[in-house]
Amino acid sequence: MSVQLRGSDRLVHIRWIPKYTFLERLGHWVHAVTYIPLAFTGFLIFAPLLKGLSQGDWGEALRVTHRLFAVGFGLMPLIYIVFQPGRFLMNVRENFRFTRYDIEWVKAAFPYYVLGRHADMPPQPRFNTGERLNAAMIMVGYVLFGVTGLLMWFGKGIIPQWMFQTAVIIHDLTMIATFCMFIIHFFLAVAHPLMWQSLISMRYGVVSESYAREHHAMWYYGEERAKQMWKEHQAEAGS
Amino acid sequence: MELSRREFIKLSGAGVGASIAGATSAGSVLAQSSAFSPEALAILYDPSKCIGCRACQMACKQWNGLPAETNDATGLYETPLGLSAATWNIIKLNDRDPEATHFFNYQCMHCADAACVTACPSGALFKDPEGFTAYDPDKCIGCGYCTQWCPYGVPHLQVESTLTGVAKAAKCTFCQDRIWSGIGGPSCAERCPVGALEWGSRGDMMDLATMRVDELKAGGLDGVRIYGETEASGLGRLSILYDEPQAYNLPADPASPTVARVWQSVVQSLGALAIAGVTVGAFVAFVLSRGRIQMEEVE
Repeated sequence: MSVQLRGSDRLVHIRWIPKYTFLERLGHWVHAVTYIPLAFTGFLIFAPLLKGLSQGDWGEALRVTHRLFAVGFGLMPLIYIVFQPGRFLMNVRENFRFTRYDIEWVKAAFPYYVLGRHADMPPQPRFNTGERLNAAMIMVGYVLFGVTGLLMWFGKGIIPQWMFQTAVIIHDLTMIATFCMFIIHFFLAVAHPLMWQSLISMRYGVVSESYAREHHAMWYYGEERAKQMWKEHQAEAGS
Repeated sequence: MELSRREFIKLSGAGVGASIAGATSAGSVLAQSSAFSPEALAILYDPSKCIGCRACQMACKQWNGLPAETNDATGLYETPLGLSAATWNIIKLNDRDPEATHFFNYQCMHCADAACVTACPSGALFKDPEGFTAYDPDKCIGCGYCTQWCPYGVPHLQVESTLTGVAKAAKCTFCQDRIWSGIGGPSCAERCPVGALEWGSRGDMMDLATMRVDELKAGGLDGVRIYGETEASGLGRLSILYDEPQAYNLPADPASPTVARVWQSVVQSLGALAIAGVTVGAFVAFVLSRGRIQMEEVE
């Protein structure tokens, strides 16, 4: 596809590479539009400072709303698993695989994302370390939210008190962890100038060839070649 | 008993891990003494005087406008079967020892260190300055945390719909409206025709209980004891027991609400701090990145 740059008569040819299926993108947005109200309604009960907003009829309405969004939050991944089990398994395998390149990525992340120093970023597969940490936390969080949420919803008076209490505390801890990750994800995916293609990929399912080469060399070149290129780059930088 | 966060962390050790590890020790410290002042209000129940007439039960239902409950009777004295959202006060027959069957009254224990108050996220349950555990139904959101933290199983939920979760908690309030309006004391104690239930200042109730225990011991009942003097930092409902608390399905060492306190004070505070920290960090990183990254060089 060729595009004309704004304010210039230069034509740039962009080759797009598919990254997400339609169901994956739909799943992402359903997750987002259910998670945010869930976090908001949960927060009002969670934070002592907001206690005044969660009392009486209003508090009761928040609890009903929380359950309503919880249904959408819980169902969407199940639909994805049923319709695209192969993609789901592939994503699980990829998102839970961490190597020494991820340690290097973490070390280089601050200079890169804050100061724009790209040279030290190690090659990454289809999902970079940050994306994989985010996805892994979402998957673990989904299971923890689901189990503890169902126990709190339907288990009251049936399960032992200690189990209910544990479920409440795990539900809260999961919210804290996932919400911290959500803020970082929002910053990197929506607000960060280097990641401008992330929103495109979540809307259209594709990334540009140059973006894939720059950010996901192991995916673009293949793992062995990307590693070799990284070694050569490091040797050059060292000499 | 109100504990500030600082006092709590001191009690249970510094840090989150130490707080959890120190849960038992903090509970033990609290359990060794009563946090009530002698002027606080209390109820005393003496089963040796109780004739099982259920006047207390009826008075409670009448004053609080609670509906009658129907169930299949499993025995002469077992209707209703137990405390519920519509039954806040109940007389049950204790027949563990067939030679010494007697009645026993169950209601809210009005703990000084009340787990329900600690766990309640909306402030619907609170300690009244007079010492009893009061309840504001307008603030209740029906989460049911009180039912899951109370070591006595006292609060119950009136569930409108399990699916939507709409519910209201209910429990004995010490007839708070009677106290607040100056009409009198708890209707159960005021209606009791034989003085098995008495109410007054906790100091007076303790004196009465001690005297009664001495009388019963002198009469040959060696196992008689007072329940509620120090349990859960002291109870606002004192009881005279003939036997170990377990014989009445009462916990000998009621669970301290330390877990609820760690959860609300430590986990929630640190969680809010973590979220605020990450938000500020992300904003600073955003400002820095906008200033340092040259968009012309971005692929």
